Parts: sequence; C-alpha cells; structure tokens
Amino acid sequence: MLVRFGFPRMLDDLLEDVSSSDFAPVTRRFPAIDVAEYENEFVAIAEMPGIKKEDLKITFENDVLTLKGERTPYEIPQDAKVLLNEMRVREFERSLQLPSDIDAKNISAELKDGVLRVVLPKAENARARQIEIR
Amino acid sequence: MGTNGQNVLERRRAEALVKRPELPETFVAPAGDIYETSDAFVVKLDMPGATTEAISLNVEPGHFFVRARLGSYHGDRAAILMSEIGRKSYFREFNLGRGVNHNAVQAQFADGVLTIILPKTEESKVREIQIKS
Repeated sequence: MLVRFGFPRMLDDLLEDVSSSDFAPVTRRFPAIDVAEYENEFVAIAEMPGIKKEDLKITFENDVLTLKGERTPYEIPQDAKVLLNEMRVREFERSLQLPSDIDAKNISAELKDGVLRVVLPKAENARARQIEIR
Repeated sequence: MGTNGQNVLERRRAEALVKRPELPETFVAPAGDIYETSDAFVVKLDMPGATTEAISLNVEPGHFFVRARLGSYHGDRAAILMSEIGRKSYFREFNLGRGVNHNAVQAQFADGVLTIILPKTEESKVREIQIKS
C-alpha cells in the first residue's frame, strides 16, 4: 500500500531499506531526479543521456509518477576494440510520489538534450488561495 | 622507434608542457565510453543538460579536454523538494597518442551524449603485411 509522505519519496528508497546489505555495491540511481515546487505546479527533472522519446514510458497513477525505459546500446563496428566502458545503464524504472493532488489530465513532458522535464499542475483544490478578510 | 622508457619520458614532458585549463568550481567528469576502429578512436560522453553552445572541446597535440558550463534547471521561485542532480559543470581531460590527427577531430551532440571522433594518422593505421612466398 502506498503511504502519503510530506515530501516526494522514491518507492525504491523503501525497497532499498529492506534489501540493502553491507556487501551491496554502491550504485548510482538512474535517472537522477530533481523535483521543484512552484505556486501552481511541480516540475520533475530527470537526467537520462542517450534515451530517446521512443525508449521511455511515463505513467501517472495514484499520485505516483513512474519513469520506465531502456537505453539501447549504440552500434559499434565489428572490428572495434572497446577501451573504456563506463556507460552501463540499460533498463531503468523509478517511481516518485507527489505530495499534493495533481491535475493528471494536464501533465506534460518534454525530452531534450538528455533531460526529461515533467510538469505536473496542481489540482484546483490543492492550489494556495488567498483568503479575503471580511 | 623509441623504447618504452623513452615514451614515458616523452609523455611526461608533453604533460608538463600542457597548459591546464581553469577549472569550474564544481564540476563532474562525465561518464564515457571509448572504442577504437581501424581508422579512428571514438569517445562518447554522457553530458545531459549540456547544449551544443555550452560545450567546448579543446584539442591540442598530446591531449584534449571537454567542458561545459551549465545553468540551473529551476526558476528563482522554485522550492526544491528533491535534489539528486545539483547544479554542476562538466569537465574531463584525455591524453592523446601521437597516432591521432588532431586537426581532423569531429564532434557531435545528440540526446545528451557527446560523440568525439579522433581519426588516426595514416602512419598509425594498422597495415597488413603481405608475406611473399
């Protein structure tokens, strides 16, 4: 069951709490994500170099944004010799719970220069309102 | 052809002569792949968030370096709820062997990945020697 937190919290953080051991290698999560809150929207930024639009699936369900995809390896000539291989990520999936009601129909996403930008407008009832004093 | 010992000294000398670029305050070395084909070395670097305009690639005999200065992803009025990316610049330097034609280096940037093609000089390409019977 999903629990609502005050701050965005990664579901895989929870999983890691359970499954991590002292011997597990330190791995950097992919993609790295920033979340910023503005007056009327949240903006999630995810860095995913080498990912094309068609490699990525974005879903939003029960206040949880999920980014799932696969980095397809580039082709190298058959006779090529690999001298350095640091680009290792192939498949990835990350989920992010948003702290406030989202207007799901108006979520938009843009992928440019290896950076995904998802704009999640707040639902009308979650927006800050100024109360007039009578 | 020099011995290995001489090559090391030559490399040290070349390194000592290299002008070090001024480093940005906070930078990360982009992750990279390198492969070698019969006529070139190909270097690929993950540089998400950079743009063609922001990247500079300096190639000199003996070494090359790549750097990019990045702006912030967030507006002034943002409240940052989660920050794994941080604001950063990219910098990475590589040594170049003598077999590279540094005047013919090409680079392209797509989907956040910089690809640099360093063609080999004619002399350094592998030649197959015919054995006469």
